[in-house]
This record gives sequence, structure tokens and C-alpha cells, in this order.
Amino acid sequence: MFDEDEIVDDSLEPETVQTASENEVDSELGQTRMEVAYGAGDGDDDAKAVVARKASMGVLYEQIYRPWNGQLGPRWVRNYAIFRHHVYGIFSSKGHRHYNPFVRLSILVIFLTSLTPIAMIFLSVTISGGEGSDWLNRMWGVNRYNLWGQVLGYFPRNLCMWPLLTALVVGGMISDDRKNGTSAIYFSRPVTRTDYTAMKYLSSAVVLGFVIVFSYMLYYTSAIVFNGEGWAYLIDTLPMFLGGLLAGILLVITYTSIGMALSSVSQSRFFAAIGFLAIIFGTKIVALMIELIFETTIFYIFSPYDSLAHLGQWLIGIPANYEHSLALSIISVIIYNAASIGLLITRVRSLEVTRE
Amino acid sequence: MSTKPTPAVLLQNCSKWYGQVIGINDVSLAIDGGVTGILGPNGAGKSTLFKLLMGRLKPSSGDVRLFGVDPWESTSPYRRVGYVAETEKLYDWMTGHDFVSTLARLHGMTREEASDRASHVLEFVGLADVQNKEIGKYSKGMRQRIKIAHALVHDPDLIILDEPLHGCDPIARTSIMSVIRDLGSQGKTVLVSSHILDEIERITEQIVILHNGRLLALGNLHAIRDLLDKHPHRIMIRTENPRKLAEFFVPEDPVYGVRFSQEGALEILTNDLSAAHDVLPRVIVDSGLKISSIENPDDNLEALLGYLVGGA
Repeated sequence: MFDEDEIVDDSLEPETVQTASENEVDSELGQTRMEVAYGAGDGDDDAKAVVARKASMGVLYEQIYRPWNGQLGPRWVRNYAIFRHHVYGIFSSKGHRHYNPFVRLSILVIFLTSLTPIAMIFLSVTISGGEGSDWLNRMWGVNRYNLWGQVLGYFPRNLCMWPLLTALVVGGMISDDRKNGTSAIYFSRPVTRTDYTAMKYLSSAVVLGFVIVFSYMLYYTSAIVFNGEGWAYLIDTLPMFLGGLLAGILLVITYTSIGMALSSVSQSRFFAAIGFLAIIFGTKIVALMIELIFETTIFYIFSPYDSLAHLGQWLIGIPANYEHSLALSIISVIIYNAASIGLLITRVRSLEVTRE
Repeated sequence: MSTKPTPAVLLQNCSKWYGQVIGINDVSLAIDGGVTGILGPNGAGKSTLFKLLMGRLKPSSGDVRLFGVDPWESTSPYRRVGYVAETEKLYDWMTGHDFVSTLARLHGMTREEASDRASHVLEFVGLADVQNKEIGKYSKGMRQRIKIAHALVHDPDLIILDEPLHGCDPIARTSIMSVIRDLGSQGKTVLVSSHILDEIERITEQIVILHNGRLLALGNLHAIRDLLDKHPHRIMIRTENPRKLAEFFVPEDPVYGVRFSQEGALEILTNDLSAAHDVLPRVIVDSGLKISSIENPDDNLEALLGYLVGGA
């Protein structure tokens, strides 16, 4: 291997280099003149130079290239590598995508906050028998409204938590690659643009799903375990749980689609994140103002959140807050997803990696 | 009937335009086996050529084929290609080993295979001792070498290196040149771009010269030089008395003229550069004058391009 000591040995004593005048100069061959011409000597008889006596630059390191005779894995192996690179990065940057510590902390805080109903159910069980226990159970226990609220409630989840989580996770998913040129790392390998996009989408959805859907499942399971409920309870509540689960999955898909589309059109994670928040909150606020002034809820179909909330209310089986037809909300959700995914695919397919 | 083998790289009447700006203009070439130097000044189209080969850009017209496949339409040739971009963003937070093994997994290697292979290529490029250090802390030369390592990790048949020596210190240059020569000697097709003729000359004799997006010359460097030797050449000698030195040079056969273009300098004009260099030492000794420098102003890429485009 390369050893710096081989290049310069500090312990060596300086030696004097003979000057041209001390040499046997063959004037016919022009040795002195040529030395002058190429700057080797300057005609100064007293000139001395200090050099390292054993200076050697022969071998820098042992350089042996060994061909690889293995078999490269199929497409799913490459895709899984992209997927795990993004998902495992939440937990460790070693060999994975780097998430800012603030993003990681935010994900943790949002996840823990989404679990607060579990703590309240646990509290209601520990103080069982009193009025407080009943109140806690009504407020936090499993019922249609609480199941809907766990994923689709506006405050605090869809005002403070899920959109912020999506903006933080999805915002830089493609825009970072576009900005830094790191998409080139993928596109100079046998990774298709479809695989690249699909795996980024899937990994974003899995991270969001872990916080939104997994916390919902945990909430329902804890209620059964803490209260020691039996099969009858399970049969009673399972349909509405599954309705809420489906609503949660639709929320994850829709938010991921919109976020990824914005990330693909931007070279800044900030723009993608702000754009996403603007769409979620902006459409909601405008629709709310129109409802207050004109007493119609029809403009809520432009709000992805409200369309999902409307659909979720139907899936779980609670009365709708909206006067307009459910079909319009369903169409709105479909259009938002189709348009976002279409934009995402178009952008990535035509992406020319001009910056590296 | 025998079928003609598909070359690793094939461009047919390929052009790429960035709006009104020409990237590559009607370039046709085929390259297969050994090290080929892609020479050209900045803006000649070297990086555009490589990006077209790597499917990062779509050609405005013409065809690009890597192992017979259009790289914009299919990623399948990339199993056999390793690419080092001129300025590529790396994952600075990763260690060298993690980075190379992560990219190996993008080629479909298992965790163990990726780790073993990463260790090997890092050793090959001389980064074994710093493989557990974060890339963000690497020097420029180390970054260039880790880019070569990640391009080699899947043992490609075609290696494309865009200005791999750019910004490297002499030790890094020497080691990278050694790596390139070694890869070429193993039968791999290696494309290396540079705007410095001397660098390419130390690596390979096979060159492609690009200028303003057009293909100017293709072939053996010495053959091209021989062609150029038939053109007038200049030798610039700096001395205390150029006029006296000129008296000694004028009678010599290879010299057909002299010029005093700068103060303290004699410009010798010759049609036979080698013969002129042969008589040079004797004439200088005969003159008895002190010489401070001897230069060949035509022995660089700019001069080469000048001849090829007919300007000089």
C-alpha cells in the first residue's frame, strides 16, 4: 500500500548536489549549455540543493484489479435497494438516505403525538370505575367518531400533523436529486425511471403510512387489549375500523401523490413543502370562506383534505358534514391522484440530468 | 454468415442542441476496446457526448447506441457501463465503503457481495485506508478516485471517465492514470476526456478530437502528429542575443526561417520538427550563447486544433 514515508523521509540528512562547475563538463556535447537551457543549472558555482536521499515514487500502492464473476440480481433486488435506502434513512444515515435531524425529530414527535389516545385509554383503564373513567372512555375510546378523527380529524391531525409530516418527508424526495444531480447516481445504473419513481413513491408512502396508519391500528388494538374486549366487540367494531383503515390508506396515497408531484417539478424541497401545505390549507380556507359567505359546501371538492374527509365519513358510517354529493368528493380524490401521478411520471420520464 | 460484433459505443449522425447552442453536431463514431482519449477544449462537447451515451440527455437527432441499445430508451446497457461524471454530487455523509457498496446494491448485488466488491475496488483505487472515513472529508483527488471506484464496482465492460484528472494533485493524477492504463490493458473499453493533450498522451495513443461540437480527428495520436509534422512548426528559444543565435540556425537544413516575435526570443520556423530538435544542441553549443528556455508553442491542444481547423 501507499506509504507517505516512502516519498519523503524527514529523518534523512541533507546532501549537497554537485554544481555544473564541479562536474566533468563535456563542452563539445554541450552538457552545461543544455542544463542552462532546461533550467537544471544557473551557472552559480555555490548553488546547493537539499533533497531527500531516498525519495521514491515508484510504487504508490499495490494495484490489482480482480474481475467480478458474480451474477447481478434481478430488477426487484435493485428496487428493494432503492426502497430500503430511503426508508432505513429515517433510522440511520449509515449507507442510507440522509434525513435532517429536525425531520427525524419531527417524525418522532408527530408519531408520539398520534399515540396520545392510547395513553388516555390506558389511563381510563387504570382508574376504572369512576366518572372520570367513563368520561375518558367517551372522549378517547373506540367509536366511529374517534376512529374517523384518528386519521381524518382536522384538528390537530390534519391541521398540524399529517400535512407537516408529508411536507417534511416527501418535499425533498425528488427535488433534492434534481437540485444536487444525485438522480444521475440512479440513472447511470440499470434503474429505469419508472422504478426510480415507484420506489421513491413507495418509500414515502411507507414512512407516512407508518405514522398515520400504523398509529391508527395501534390505537384500535390497544383499546381491545387494555379493556380486555372479546370477540363480540371485535365483530361490532371491525367494519368501522376497516373503513377507517381504508380512509387512512387513501389519505396516505393522496398526500404522497400530491407531495411527490410537487417535488418532481421543483428543484427545492422548500418549494415542494410549501406548495403542498398551500394546496392543503389554501383550498380548505377558500372553501370555508365561500361556505360562510354563500352557504354552499360545493367548493370543498377542491380541497383534497375535505374530499378525503367526506369519503372517510361515508366509509366509517358517520353523518357527512358536507351538503354536496359524495360522488363529487370521490371524483375529486381520483382526479387529484391521477393528475399528481400523471405529472410525476411525465416529469421524471422527460427528466434530462443536466446538472451533476 | 458471420455477424459483425456490436461496438461498445456507436454514434450515428448524432446532434444535441441546447436551444440555439450546439452541444454535439453531426458526430459519427464507433469505439470498442482499449483506452480512448476524448480531447477538446472546454465547451467542445465532451461532457455532452458522455451524457448522451449515459442516457442523461436525449439526442436532438441521430442515433446513440451502447452495446447496440439506445441508452435513452433502455437502462439494460448500464449493467455493463461504469460512468464517472466530471462534477458529480456524492453522498457526503456516507463513508467511502458505505457509498460504494450502496451503489453496488443498485446494480443488484447482495449485501455481502456489495461489501466485498466495494472493499476490493476501494483498494484498487488506493482508498482502502480511508474507506471508513466520510466522503465529505475526502480531498479532491480522493473524491475522483471514489467516483472511479463506484464506476468499477460491478466490473463493467465500458468505463466512461469525464475529466477524471481535473483538480487532482500530482500523486492522485499518477495513480488515476495508472488505474486507467491498467483497466485498458485488461481489455475493457475506457473513454477518458480531457482538454489537456499531455494528460491523454500519458494514458493512451487512441484519441478522438472534438471542437465546437464537431468531430475533428479520430485515430492514433502519433499518426495525427505525423500528419501535423508536415505543417510548419515553431521552436521558441529565449536567449540574451537572439540575432546572433539566428545566424547559427539559418544555414541549417530543417530551418526555413527565423522570426524575432518577442524581445529576447528567437522563433525558429521548421517543416521537420524532429530534425530541428536533432540539430538544436549542436547549434546552441556552437553559438556559445546562454539559453534560458526552449519551448514548442505548437505542442499543445490549442495548436493541434489550430492546425485541424486550418487556422494556424
